[in-house]
Amino acid sequence: MSTPRTRFSTDAWAIVLSLALALIIRIGVLKAVPW
Amino acid sequence: MATPAELPDLRTEYPPHAAGRNPAERSILLGLIPGIALLAVVGYAGKFVEHFINTYGKTHHLVLPNIEYVLWAILFGILISNTVGLPRIFRAGVATYEFWLKAGIILLGARFILGDILKLGGISLILVFIAFAFSLTFMTWLGRAFNLGPQLTTLLAVGSSVCGVSAIIATQGAIDADEKDSSTAIAAILALGAISLFTFPLIGHALHMSDRAYGLWAGLAVDNTAEATAAGALYSDAAGKFAVLAKTCRNALIGFVVLAYAIQWARKGLASRAATAQLDNKAAFLWKKFPKFVLGFLFISLLATLGSSANPAIAALGFNKPQLLALGNLSRWAFLLTFAGVGLRTNLKDLFKQGGRPFLVGAVGEIAIAAITLLLVVGADHFFHL
Repeated sequence: MSTPRTRFSTDAWAIVLSLALALIIRIGVLKAVPW
Repeated sequence: MATPAELPDLRTEYPPHAAGRNPAERSILLGLIPGIALLAVVGYAGKFVEHFINTYGKTHHLVLPNIEYVLWAILFGILISNTVGLPRIFRAGVATYEFWLKAGIILLGARFILGDILKLGGISLILVFIAFAFSLTFMTWLGRAFNLGPQLTTLLAVGSSVCGVSAIIATQGAIDADEKDSSTAIAAILALGAISLFTFPLIGHALHMSDRAYGLWAGLAVDNTAEATAAGALYSDAAGKFAVLAKTCRNALIGFVVLAYAIQWARKGLASRAATAQLDNKAAFLWKKFPKFVLGFLFISLLATLGSSANPAIAALGFNKPQLLALGNLSRWAFLLTFAGVGLRTNLKDLFKQGGRPFLVGAVGEIAIAAITLLLVVGADHFFHL
């Protein structure tokens, strides 16, 4: 039996990506981002 | 050349959902890669040209105009989409520019402390209300004067006073406007947004506006979030930051405006049963229309505020300065992709094709709104020292 899959909106994906990047920077995996 | 009818996905379509476990969804993700790569190439080309011109001027002791990468990225995008056109393979990925815009805004939260957001956000909200009341009255009068239908007039008023395309799409369902009215309103708002990209920075420089005042003005007067961000960044990096803040405040109001319209149309008996049924649960209606990415922006800003605390225990919960710098730069990269997308989806044909009364009503309305918000911002700058 298939389970219903959660569909994320653009907003949700933008939040997920941004928070993941923020976490990566917060725990020090990525120390600097050049511009 | 790509015609407007062939490019609906670049205006209103959200990027496809992210990859799941089945091959079909994986192929959707793979399908985004060419377009995202094109955004990156066009955006980076803009950055490269800005750097190249600056370096060339310095080494040859020439005084060359400093044209921001934002303008180059937009111009390269416009050049591509209006000459060779955008091949189908790139379209899905280019449509993700709105996703990058939202990610960029969330990460931009790192460059604000909550106190700034409350102060400038509060002033912005007051100005938004005044500008909104003005534009609604003015656009309604203008629409009647030019014999436009009530649906089209409403869509133009909402698009020009709240937040462009997304407000039009949200209102369309609430007032049962037809596709033709909404696509006309969207085309007019997008065409006017493209014009404001080039006129706003010129006006700002002519009036010697401060970064804060100009950013606030661009955020309050330019309709689409992407164009407002670009119009701000074209002036200066700091102005871009304030434009995003003011625009985000406007975006946060979208649910209330759409709800008010939906109630008004339902009371007049003009709304369909489906549109009226949505009003049974007003809280759910507001939540559905609320731009959720604003919550991400506030959360990152909260962590930035904690990090700046004098209390080491509290500061340890937030971001330190190098981390804030890294997050701010990530936000700039995300905006770089957005600006390339703004250029790639700007169709110059639209500017001339609109031709008729809707465009004229939109244009007159936009000029009036830009003028009134400029006065409001100059007044607020005088009284509140923005």
